[in-house]
Amino acid sequence: MRGSPLLRAVLAFLAILALGWPLHRLTTAADAPREQPKTVVAEAKTIGLRLTFTLAPKSVKVLHLGQEVWSESAPAAELKHTLKLAYPAEGIDLQFQIEWPADAPLAAMRATLTDPDGDPHEHSVWGTSSVDEVVTFP
Amino acid sequence: MLRRMKPRVLFLLSLLVLPLSALAEAKLRVSSFSTILTEIAQQVGGERVAVTAHVKPGVDPHEYEPKPTDLKTVGDAQIILLSAKHMEGYVGKLKESTGTKGTLIEVGDGFSSLKMKPEAGHEGHAHASDEDPHWWHSVANMGKATKIVRDAFSKASPADAALFAGNAAKYLAKLDALQKWTKTELAKLPRDQRKLVTSHDAFQYFAKENGFTIYAIEGLSSADQPSSKKVAEIIATIKARGVKAIFSESIKNPKVLTEITRETGAKVGGELYADGLGDGAAATYEGMFKHNVSTLVNALK
Repeated sequence: MRGSPLLRAVLAFLAILALGWPLHRLTTAADAPREQPKTVVAEAKTIGLRLTFTLAPKSVKVLHLGQEVWSESAPAAELKHTLKLAYPAEGIDLQFQIEWPADAPLAAMRATLTDPDGDPHEHSVWGTSSVDEVVTFP
Repeated sequence: MLRRMKPRVLFLLSLLVLPLSALAEAKLRVSSFSTILTEIAQQVGGERVAVTAHVKPGVDPHEYEPKPTDLKTVGDAQIILLSAKHMEGYVGKLKESTGTKGTLIEVGDGFSSLKMKPEAGHEGHAHASDEDPHWWHSVANMGKATKIVRDAFSKASPADAALFAGNAAKYLAKLDALQKWTKTELAKLPRDQRKLVTSHDAFQYFAKENGFTIYAIEGLSSADQPSSKKVAEIIATIKARGVKAIFSESIKNPKVLTEITRETGAKVGGELYADGLGDGAAATYEGMFKHNVSTLVNALK
């Protein structure tokens, strides 16, 4: 069991090396930051939007996640449009910016959203002259 | 004779009038045990109330205990404002030890409660029930609280009722504007990303009003080391739900915070004000609320 000191030193070195490699792997893996958690991004789907006004506005804008997705100048009293948007189970917020004539009486807009399953959801927005309102569907 | 009497009459009249004017000058004495209610009281009462703020900004209301000086002030107060919903565990002692004849207004009991998540832990906190006492994270509740304070002040000082009504209307208009701003800001955040990981389960009212889901985590409120099993559960929850950020109000233990962010890739989203007003921009309700909303939107979008 005694063997030569050189042989014992070599064996000890090999043993340390054998242990050191997995230890190195473990510690470096722990230090490295992981990737950002993968969030499931809802797939973009076709959504129908019909806007009906009691009084035709000067302009209307629709925003989704802070970005303009549809706008019309001097629109008719009824508008229809199709949007391609992510529509998660939790629903979506649409922001409506409507400009009616300054001297116009109280007016309203009826927004009917047809979701990807074909189900309609309705909300009304009331105001005079300028309206900026967030509506949650469904 | 008449000339001689005139100064005497005037003197006697002034004796009558002086106490009346002094009475008119006397302010309504209000003791407040919430930074939020202190703001409401000052806004509604204006110059006609003297508000003593017992719980100062930055003080944890869960940990607060009245001091002897507080008791003396409460004893003299005409109105005592409390958050209620079991936030002030000392309310019984307060009544007993001060013998106050003032009216106790337990504001939070004026509207419905939301429950904290059953699995949520409250280490370091003394919630006596499973009601979430942090009702002020709903702007709608703030409106109700303002009306409760207005009515209490008007009852205690009917001569000032019109002033209180006017001041309350101005404050309610500010709250409406804040609600509108909040909806517009949160509209930038997809509704499926409104996930709030928290151990200090203080945001149930905010979550309900703004479409957030709370993942309450037990065991991270205190600076103590939570069990490795608990940390593993948290990591699994964050991974499974795809949570992008966690907030430092939720997790006070920096070691654990580092471990969770490293294992999940979630970032530290910033600090949220849970227990009331703070300093700087968060010294007002509007500032505090806007800070929380902006922090959430920036971290989660």
